[in-house]
Amino acid sequence: MSFEWPWQYNFPPFFTLQPNVDTRHKQLAAWCSLALSYCRHNKLYTLDIMEAQESPVFNHKNIDRKLSMEAILIVFEELRKKGNLEWLDKNKTRCLVMWRRPEEWGKLIYQWVSKNSMVNTVFTLYELANGDDTESEEFHGLEDWMLIRSLQALQMDGKAEVITMDDGKGVKFF
Amino acid sequence: MHRRGVGAGAIAKKKLTEARYKERGTVLAEDQIVQMSKQLETFKSNLEEFASKHKQEIRKSSQFRVQFQEMCATIGVDPLASGKGFWSEMLGVGDFYYELGVQIIEVCLALKHRNGGLITLDELHHRVLKGRGKFAQDVSQDDLVRAIKKLKVMGNGFGMIPVGGSYLVQSVPAELNMDHTVVLQLAEKKGYVSVSEIRESLKWERERACHVLDHLLKEGLAWLDSQASGEPQYWLPALFSELTSRGQSV
Repeated sequence: MSFEWPWQYNFPPFFTLQPNVDTRHKQLAAWCSLALSYCRHNKLYTLDIMEAQESPVFNHKNIDRKLSMEAILIVFEELRKKGNLEWLDKNKTRCLVMWRRPEEWGKLIYQWVSKNSMVNTVFTLYELANGDDTESEEFHGLEDWMLIRSLQALQMDGKAEVITMDDGKGVKFF
Repeated sequence: MHRRGVGAGAIAKKKLTEARYKERGTVLAEDQIVQMSKQLETFKSNLEEFASKHKQEIRKSSQFRVQFQEMCATIGVDPLASGKGFWSEMLGVGDFYYELGVQIIEVCLALKHRNGGLITLDELHHRVLKGRGKFAQDVSQDDLVRAIKKLKVMGNGFGMIPVGGSYLVQSVPAELNMDHTVVLQLAEKKGYVSVSEIRESLKWERERACHVLDHLLKEGLAWLDSQASGEPQYWLPALFSELTSRGQSV
């Protein structure tokens, strides 16, 4: 399924940081939404900021417009404030993108577990994210760092416990 | 030969004749009333017949509505003037435009965040038709214009700005004076406008042009594009959807 660009993507001013405050709010909200949808569609979990600047999202070659580095950082800061982004380094060159927050992933995973009556079973992280059984699930292919955070969120809720096993980590659901 | 006339008898007779005429006058008035009453009955049932025959057409056909409105105008009647009475209750003319007005407001509200409260009549028409679905009644641009005029009268902040042969419908009471309107009309062709274009076409001073553009930015009607070659361009979302939807299939 091809990615559906929002109307703003073809609107040249969308790539200029707007001087009017109210318009800028709308613009940033639209950018946050677009960035997250794009990452979700392409299952991107981390972004390198230099690469991002050249990606089709921020660089629309067809209309010869691109978002400046300054503006990209502002968009990313908005995402960070909303809990959808985390910087991996102090220099802000790489970041984690959470188009779904850990709590939301946790919920999805737990739903699958209880739907298949697998509560009280132990899973390895690999089985959960990469096993055949979960192939059709949205959380299939979830990167380890996100998987662990999601399980930790469930743990805080008393719904799971992350355990260390011989060859890695596993999880038990309650 | 005896002469009648003056005399007690004559006076008495005169009085009797007058009394008879008076009685007759009363009888005449009663007569008239019965007549008029019969005529009113006929008139009323004719109106009812007219209404039932044409109510459907009024709802269904925009062409009929135009002709109907023109006919009313010729005889000096405004069927939308009051909410009560024959026109609205029996013919449902008022209902039709009232409901359309509500739909128009809904569309404008839904798009306000994007275009700042300014929308082309074409786009409004397109979206109203879409909202009514495949089997709904036909609505023309003439219908929209009438409904908007009604809304304007009711003080809903609605206005219509003539641009490029059609209209821009304003649904938010933004302060737009002649200068602003003229720049909007200039922007209509390409969906955007620049300071030098304004200076060239309208022969204004730079400051006047900038003042208007700043106002449009402030009202959320225009966005700034500083990556255009040459000088900044001011784009209007209201005119943009129009441009892209023209090129799209559905």
